[in-house]
Amino acid sequence: MNYRFIVRPNLCTGCRTCELACSFTHSIDNIRGITRIYPLDGGFKDLWVPVTCLQCEDPACIKSCLVDALRLNPETGAIELNQDICVHCMACVAACPFGCSIFDKQHDIIVKCDLCGGDPACAHFCPTKALEWKPIEVKKKKVAI
Amino acid sequence: MVNLTINGRIVQAKEGEMLLTVLRREKIDVPALCHHEAVEPFGACRLCTVEITKEDWNGYSNYVTSCLYPVEEGLIVSTHSPKVNELRKTILDLFLARHPNSPEIRQLAADYGVFKTSYETVVDGNNCILCAICTRICDTMGFHAISTVGRGHGKEVAPPLHQVPPDCVGCLACALNCPTHYIEYTFDNNYLTIWDKKFELMVCSRCGKKTITKEFAEYLSKHRDIPFSYFEICDECHRKELAATMGQITSWEREA
Ligand code: SF4
Ligand code: SF4
Ligand code: FES
Repeated sequence: MNYRFIVRPNLCTGCRTCELACSFTHSIDNIRGITRIYPLDGGFKDLWVPVTCLQCEDPACIKSCLVDALRLNPETGAIELNQDICVHCMACVAACPFGCSIFDKQHDIIVKCDLCGGDPACAHFCPTKALEWKPIEVKKKKVAI
Repeated sequence: MVNLTINGRIVQAKEGEMLLTVLRREKIDVPALCHHEAVEPFGACRLCTVEITKEDWNGYSNYVTSCLYPVEEGLIVSTHSPKVNELRKTILDLFLARHPNSPEIRQLAADYGVFKTSYETVVDGNNCILCAICTRICDTMGFHAISTVGRGHGKEVAPPLHQVPPDCVGCLACALNCPTHYIEYTFDNNYLTIWDKKFELMVCSRCGKKTITKEFAEYLSKHRDIPFSYFEICDECHRKELAATMGQITSWEREA
């Protein structure tokens, strides 16, 4: 994995451009999908937190899925939901402690952030760089201990 | 990688993949009622039948159920040749005789030009086409709450001994994936009833939204090592909670 998704609540203005970008990017048959990212105020004044899937290391969604529809894409680091395998039991929606497996009423499917397959639209469109998709610098140690 | 020709077009597929999986990926519309990617292929409905041949078959062809046929190098596939369409028509004609009241079957038959069955209609029938998607999904999920019982004409899907199924957790997967929507369930206030079993639903402790059944949550918590407390709050309230935590950290950062 060479990229990392970076969220900086400090820079978020709550403009909700990310929501739009996400929703449009995940359209099916020209009908917009539900957003996978939510800028929320968290109860603080002038403060916004873009809440989205944290792509956990020990994910409750994967553990809850009894048909193995959720899997890690090792190339992007995203946990992806295979729509053909999903049986719509809602286990992952109920299990995610961050509420990031979501039921899309419009399309009658369960969805979650897939990092747009390795090029997240929200990060592209965020005007303040509160969301970024950045290459990780791997620093080589010069001296062996 | 395996190369095959589908309806005149060269397509690549992964070794060991079933033909139907490839057809779906290529967005070729082949009817398939007993197929679900969550479970092993079954070959019950026969609707996914396609015509196959190869260069060296001297003009001979064969008919196979694509859901059960692994791809092969050099395979030439026709999904809608006149013969295949004729075959599907016959199958749908039979389906229509047995399930004359199923809207899904009627629609599919109509798509193939079958509006009235040429066989004798089964009068006391129901809309279960015995594809066993429900029982196979329930088995795959590890519950084994329902199965097909009986044989031949009397075969049906039911819980053991036609009693309230002790192993059912009310996940609804059987009903939601039934191609003819035959399995009934009802929501009534904080309860879900399926297979005559009444389940209490989890209610979000913050906003009151109803989520999965308590029995399903308990199962996942016990067998999948997920803290039960995760199930006590709905997804929306979980997001709010995360925003509050991150917001708190950010506000401290700002103050510092
Ligand atoms: S809703 Fe789909 S992805 Fe989520 S746990 Fe159930 S089968 Fe798996
Ligand atoms: S609702 Fe019950 S019978 Fe149906 S799939 Fe779930 S556990 Fe099995
Ligand atoms: S989908 Fe292949 S036989 Fe039913």
